[in-house]
Amino acid sequence: MRLTHASVAAAAVASTLGAAWVALETDRSSHRVLLAVFGAVVSLSFAGSGLHAWIRQPRNRLGPLMILISVAWSTSMLFFANGALVYTIGQALRPLFVVGLLYLLLSFPTGRLATTYERTLVGSMLVVLLPLQIVWMLPAEGDPVLCKGCPRNLLEVQRDDHLTHVIGAFQGAAGTLVLFAAVVVLVRRWRASGAAERRAIAPVAVVGGVLMVAAVLVSANFAAGSPLGFLPLLIAWCAFAVLPVAIVAMLVQRRLARTAIAGLVIDLGDRPKHMALRDALARALGDPSLDLVYWAAETGRYVDAQGGPAALPDAGGARVVTAVQRGGEPAAALVHDRALLENPELIDSVCAAAALALENERLQAELRSRLAELQASRARLVEAADAERVRIERDLHDGAQQRLVSIAMALGLAEARFAHDAEAARPILREARDGLALALEELRELSRGILPGILTERGLTAALGELSNRASVPVRLSSSIDGRLPEHVEAAAYFLVSEALANVAKHSHASSARIHASVDDGVLAVDIEDDGIGGAAIGGGSGLRGLTDRVEALGGRLTVSSPPGRGTVVRAEIPCA
Amino acid sequence: MRVVVADDSVILREGLARLLQEVGVEVVGLAGDGDELLALVEELQPDVAIVDIRMPPTHTDEGLQAVRKIRERWPGMGILVLSQYVRPSYAVELLSGGSEGVGYLLKDRVSDLGELASSVRRVAEGGSVLDPSVVSQLVSRPNGPRALLESLSEREVEVLAAMAEGLSNKAIGERLWISGNTVEKHVKSIFGKLQLPASEDDHRRVLAVIRFLDAS
Repeated sequence: MRLTHASVAAAAVASTLGAAWVALETDRSSHRVLLAVFGAVVSLSFAGSGLHAWIRQPRNRLGPLMILISVAWSTSMLFFANGALVYTIGQALRPLFVVGLLYLLLSFPTGRLATTYERTLVGSMLVVLLPLQIVWMLPAEGDPVLCKGCPRNLLEVQRDDHLTHVIGAFQGAAGTLVLFAAVVVLVRRWRASGAAERRAIAPVAVVGGVLMVAAVLVSANFAAGSPLGFLPLLIAWCAFAVLPVAIVAMLVQRRLARTAIAGLVIDLGDRPKHMALRDALARALGDPSLDLVYWAAETGRYVDAQGGPAALPDAGGARVVTAVQRGGEPAAALVHDRALLENPELIDSVCAAAALALENERLQAELRSRLAELQASRARLVEAADAERVRIERDLHDGAQQRLVSIAMALGLAEARFAHDAEAARPILREARDGLALALEELRELSRGILPGILTERGLTAALGELSNRASVPVRLSSSIDGRLPEHVEAAAYFLVSEALANVAKHSHASSARIHASVDDGVLAVDIEDDGIGGAAIGGGSGLRGLTDRVEALGGRLTVSSPPGRGTVVRAEIPCA
Repeated sequence: MRVVVADDSVILREGLARLLQEVGVEVVGLAGDGDELLALVEELQPDVAIVDIRMPPTHTDEGLQAVRKIRERWPGMGILVLSQYVRPSYAVELLSGGSEGVGYLLKDRVSDLGELASSVRRVAEGGSVLDPSVVSQLVSRPNGPRALLESLSEREVEVLAAMAEGLSNKAIGERLWISGNTVEKHVKSIFGKLQLPASEDDHRRVLAVIRFLDAS
């Protein structure tokens, strides 16, 4: 509790004690203790509730307003004073707390009057009850006109009982009118409010409603010369005493609502699959009409759960939109009852929880899609490796192995002939030697397909040079790579260029191609560009799918730009870490 | 003796034909795949068909499929299967339909003209020929019949391998420089130790030995 709070509390307690003392000392009532206790209860309940609200919700004006009402109420108790001066002050300021009360009810629950009409009502009430009260007292002698047994009215100028009566009747009628208008405002507001708002303000609304009706009756009764006696006043007083309790009840309920956030977080953490996020949020906010809409960044608008455009309520209606932010970007929005705005902490917490849950959902979806992509890519890599093995086995079987068997056959034949005609063996041996040369050549070709020797010996630039020289179209190679890169990076880049050049030969109808290779910031970038017909795509039998997997397995990226008629650019970026 | 050669590689089938002619075998027809082989066999009725396993169109085991058909329709015809790899499972499959007149050799073996000639002759006469590497693969299998084989003496293992290759007692004796009686004694001992049904028939015992080696 800060110093301001403490001093205000002290002032409220002091005024309460002062009023109670006045009540205990009064000559005009036989129920002094009752009067004092009742006055103190009302005063302290307003002051205590006000202080509570002020500390809990500094932005809300209800707290200070209730403290003012407490002081105004204590001031009105001065009416019971035996001394002329204090009595006169009490009598003059007696209706002030009614103005505060009107303000309280109209501005509930923010403590701020929202419309000009409401401000006009409160202003009118202030005029009717303060200046007119003083005007009313000018022609009135204290006893017996103003009240029985009252001290002298210090404001009396010249006694005129008729004038006093007229002014009093006017004051009563005008006050009744304003109160009635205020009741109409409150009734309409109640009827326009949503379920959540009604639930939140129900205790205050009930007590306030009784109080207002009673106040109208008191006013009308006074104007009509008190045919109902003290009954309306009694009802009004009781409602009045209970009102701060109702307000405190509302505040406590709000705190309970905040504990709903804890429930929400538990709900979200342990949410059964079928429980939609919306339902969990609706439960936490106590607003069954809650809507959750998602922000679609591509279109820049909110969409519903099915992805259709979401209809948002108009500004100023009973339902409002609160955006759920994630990292400064809109992620979703809650469409909820306006009343929930009165509890910004609750809304903030729910938005934060919703942002967490949405982020969680998004991450999970992203993870699932990445996992699926990873599994597919892994399967493709395995398939590619298997296909490569089959190809190598086939190449060996149909190539070098066959040659070697035929050489063995030739040698067998030569051996057989050698015994009886050495000269006859000579052409067969030559044949075997030629076959051996072919077998070696085939083995070289095969091993180059597995991993070219020049790549392991001289590195990427030299290997790309060899690829360029063997390409089917003229290729211009520019490479700024001097040293060696990690083996797997060199191999991936080599096979990428090899495959891309094969595509150039097979599909592109290009007349020339360009290869550019460089390393920037530890990332190898390789571009293969041709001037062919374009229209190439990853997949579609170009062999680029397998290379994409290979590049991505190294944490790199492969992009193909191939507009029809404007050539093809294959670009790979592979981190060299 | 008249043979048909089936191999999808032109170099190999021409080379093989030349070798066969060198050792006095008449090559009456050359085929590039299983269907061609069946047509030639039907037309020419050779004494022996020499067949490559892997041939078009699927490059898997067309040769074996063609061999199965030949043995169903012309059971007396000699079959010599050649391949760049030998697999024990193929050997068992080949021998299952009866081991008479069946041979299965690595292609490399043909460079030894003497062995080629004797193999072709053996299958033509109804004998069986199995590549030594089949036996060694079976014997060296990590989960093979170790315990039982370990009960065999070194000499008995040599005799077992020779039996598995399809050699007759006489041929085993010649290879190992031992007398026919000694071979017979070893064979009896082997069959006893391995608990195989004794068989006087050279052909049937090949299958028995191979099955034993393959199954245990």
